[in-house]
Amino acid sequence: MTEIDARIERAVRALARRTGRRAFLARLGALLTGAAGLPLLPVARSAAESPRAPGPDENIPGKPGDPTDCDYWRHCAMDGFACACCGGSASTCPPGAEKSPVGWVGSCHNPADGKDYIISYNDCCGKGWCGRCGCNRNEGERPDYHWVRNNDINWCVSAKSLVYHCSVAIVVGQATEPQPER
Amino acid sequence: MKAALAVSGAAAVLWAAAAGATPPPAEDYLLHCSGCHHADGAGVPGVVPPLTGLAPFLATPAGRAYLVRVPGVAQAALDDARLAALLNWVMREMSGADPRPEYDAREVGALRADPLRDARAARASALGR
Repeated sequence: MTEIDARIERAVRALARRTGRRAFLARLGALLTGAAGLPLLPVARSAAESPRAPGPDENIPGKPGDPTDCDYWRHCAMDGFACACCGGSASTCPPGAEKSPVGWVGSCHNPADGKDYIISYNDCCGKGWCGRCGCNRNEGERPDYHWVRNNDINWCVSAKSLVYHCSVAIVVGQATEPQPER
Repeated sequence: MKAALAVSGAAAVLWAAAAGATPPPAEDYLLHCSGCHHADGAGVPGVVPPLTGLAPFLATPAGRAYLVRVPGVAQAALDDARLAALLNWVMREMSGADPRPEYDAREVGALRADPLRDARAARASALGR
């Protein structure tokens, strides 16, 4: 037993001579800083999106209206519950809901700057019906036979869970030709 | 005569401005393709094929035709000329391929008038699988 104690003591003292507390703190600090960056890696990003994190599409000049209102400009062809009323935002799913990887794309007119923007409508999936802010605006929407422009489809068919929670309207570009064509 | 030509030319320019210029293929891509294939053409694994490796299709007439006849392309709400421009753009930008000759309205119009009965079988056949 004494021999074991002596060996451990020698090992610990040798370790203490080679390393200092500062070195340990520096490594711990580096580890913690690295860990903080881990969520930024593109792994299951859609599932981990912060509900209020502003996306690049939120840098558009002038955003009149309220994203929790069906009359909000970018909800012009939404058929579903606005995610901004469900713990998410106009462009991000609420925590615990997965954004459908497939959606449909149209355009909406932004009265603030008079421009038209291309909007990707995606559903957020994996949680029960949100039930708040049920919107049913169908500008530019097309019947079922033109399914890529149809908002009655549950786009959660492309997600891990078929269960529909709410819908987001993500600005993906500017439109020179509004949809529907004027 | 020159004056008449100048006037008609100016009128044509004004008419084009009033009618609105044709949107660039990148915009048509966002509106007609990106909902499923994503803005970068990566698609969705197991659900939507990527548009990033289509060069092998150009190696055979059947493959070249498949890219137009596949339902998502053939049924797009675009006229033949815009669809041809979009196809050329996708091949260049997403697949790094250079269609020779480039797709044009005539070729696209003829191909999309001949619908595929079985897209998956046609795809496999075009790739020699």
